[in-house]
Amino acid sequence: MPVNLTPNAIAAINGGDVNSKPLVQVMDIKLIGSTQERYRFLISDSVSTQHAMLATQLNDRVKSGRVKKGSVVQLIDYICSTVQNRKIIVVLNMETIILDCEPIGNPKMFTESESTTQKATPNSNIEHPVRVNNYNTPIRGSFNPQNPGTFNTQNPGSFSNQNPGSFTTSNSGTFRASNPSTFWAPNSGNNVQGFRPTVQPPYQPPPNYRNHGPILKNEAPARIIPIAALNPYQGRWAIKARVTAKGDLRRYNNARGDGKVFSFDLLDSDGGEIRVTCFNAVVDRFYDIIEVGRVYLISKGSLKPAQKNFNHLKNEWEIFLEATSTVDLCPEEDASIPRQQFSFRPISEIENAENNSILDVIGIVISVNPSVPILRKNGMETQRRILNLKDTSGKSVELTLWGDFCNKEGQKLQEMVDVGFFPVLAVKAGKVNDFNGKTIGTISSTQLFINPDFPEARDLREWFDQGGKNAATVSITREIMAGGSKNEIRKTVSQIKSEGLGRAEKPDWVTVRAFITFIKSDNFCYTACPLMIGDRQCNKKVTQAGNRWQCDRCNQEFDECDYRYLLQAQIQDQTGLTWVTAFQESGEEILGCPAKELYMLKYELQDDIRFGEIIRSRVFNQYLFRLKIKEELYGDEQRVKITVIKAEQLNYSSESRYLLDLISKSQRK
Amino acid sequence: MDTSNPAVFVNGELLHMHVGRRVRAVIQVIQSDNVGVTGKSTDGLQVVVKGILPSFALTNFVEVIGISDGDRSIRAEMWNNFGNTFDTDNYNQLCKLANGEFKHLFI
Repeated sequence: MPVNLTPNAIAAINGGDVNSKPLVQVMDIKLIGSTQERYRFLISDSVSTQHAMLATQLNDRVKSGRVKKGSVVQLIDYICSTVQNRKIIVVLNMETIILDCEPIGNPKMFTESESTTQKATPNSNIEHPVRVNNYNTPIRGSFNPQNPGTFNTQNPGSFSNQNPGSFTTSNSGTFRASNPSTFWAPNSGNNVQGFRPTVQPPYQPPPNYRNHGPILKNEAPARIIPIAALNPYQGRWAIKARVTAKGDLRRYNNARGDGKVFSFDLLDSDGGEIRVTCFNAVVDRFYDIIEVGRVYLISKGSLKPAQKNFNHLKNEWEIFLEATSTVDLCPEEDASIPRQQFSFRPISEIENAENNSILDVIGIVISVNPSVPILRKNGMETQRRILNLKDTSGKSVELTLWGDFCNKEGQKLQEMVDVGFFPVLAVKAGKVNDFNGKTIGTISSTQLFINPDFPEARDLREWFDQGGKNAATVSITREIMAGGSKNEIRKTVSQIKSEGLGRAEKPDWVTVRAFITFIKSDNFCYTACPLMIGDRQCNKKVTQAGNRWQCDRCNQEFDECDYRYLLQAQIQDQTGLTWVTAFQESGEEILGCPAKELYMLKYELQDDIRFGEIIRSRVFNQYLFRLKIKEELYGDEQRVKITVIKAEQLNYSSESRYLLDLISKSQRK
Repeated sequence: MDTSNPAVFVNGELLHMHVGRRVRAVIQVIQSDNVGVTGKSTDGLQVVVKGILPSFALTNFVEVIGISDGDRSIRAEMWNNFGNTFDTDNYNQLCKLANGEFKHLFI
């Protein structure tokens, strides 16, 4: 199939074209990038070839074989940027036109010497938008309407020097008509094919100054590009975006000293999102300027790989603002930029979501628990409030609010639910937790929206009001059993053996409802070291040396030792019988008195009757046992050791509730 | 246990389904005098119990076994004290199960 590649496409792209959507051939594909997978193409227009970086969102095209070596593709969105004096084409979007194709033509590597303009459109008078710099007034804006004369009169020669042969006197007058804020000569009025003035590359390469005078930086404002097009290979860019979230000012202290940092998240009209981070002095410049919901023009800053553990935005990069960065508020509202971007997941899908993943969810708040203080691991107290969300998927989930969310949004939600109104709640960036079934928790960058005004919320409200309210929902969060541990796994005695519990690398933790049928009444306790090691008691077995006790571990002697339970007992349920071991705390729970008291009764007072009564009063009582099951090696024999971690007298009311719940669950299946 | 004349677990709402049949219900005693006992069923309805009156002091919660006399009324044959605390919600669930999907499991 004969195919014509777009002539001079590569030269045109190098010259700044972003709009001609050329057909090119992929001559080679190479995977590069150390931290981030990136593909580099060698593209050909049948005369020249050049390297082109593929935006990572297109990686899949290569991986899935939708583009390969030899493919003829149409470049749809692309830019050309200069990296270390090399021009690199960045392909943001493209379509494969012919998947397999023989090499077309005999292209050669495109070089700067073949320079941009003449070759690109050889038939036109002005091949390229001419860059104009007024050397006397170098900064932007100096080329202003009230002083147009300077342009033509003072430095007339500079035009011809810059672009010899391409610039003629006949159209020099068009410079006056040009948009003075950019240093671009217009070309639309000159029947020049090529580039629409409205679409300009983000960065125009500086002209080759061969004349005299100081070399000047390109001070033209950078073009506004989509956030999705940002990459570290671009020198100059600007983005126009709305701040969707603003983080708190945080101070840190690490090996490199003290500092402060804050970040905010941006969203643009193309739906691209990115996080911006500022450190130290830059914080002072921008912290007060940034307001959630407002639109800003942001330029200059470095792009670094996103820190995925803190940053969950769909962007592989993060912007770091620098001293030279500019952040300008756009006073007029730009309705093309959404206020927030959500990708809501149905609750039923969260059931299978990975632990710690960050996602958006929307649901009706069906219950709100009171806020409770929680002691964090670092000793600080924080607030926690649990509420339940349900949605049209027929599932509900527990949402845990932490810290400030409990009092602000949490309080508001509680007040609504208390008066019988069930609000819609949209959660932006909640974190999935699988500790207890699946739950969602807030993190610092979470945002909550109560009764938001968008279609998903309205649909949900409608569904709820028209019957969804009474629809049965299944919670993907395991409900808390009163009296039982939150994440308990119920087993019967026979299941311990039949399911081979304890054989895995980690011990199994299960809950068993059973009766105590036998308690071994001799050697129910041991003599323990009462000394403290740090904040814990030593508890090592001590031996009697004369009248005193001696601990080998502490290497000390003392008059009195402690007595701790080491209780052997049998437990039994409707399926079977097993031996268990109970240590101090659980031993006391089973026998209802301290080991020392029981020891004194039996061995000092020798009151066997009273001792027997105590033992007998405990057998044939039903308990809820929390057991730790682990196979251990005794000599060369593997034995499954079952330890009682907790023994609770059975609470019939809560156990009945558990069983009723079990019945209703088995009915649903 | 006398299986020849079983008593169905009921709450207030289920009473009318077993008119003339033997039922058992746990009620929370509201008022007790020599005419009868007024109580609250486990589903929160007011139930009047007449017939054979208890010969002992009633606790907060009592089980009454007797003949359903129609809506919200039982003719008592036997009384059992069920103590001062009782999980009415669980009992109510049991009544529903015993009259619903798992009816066949109850005599």
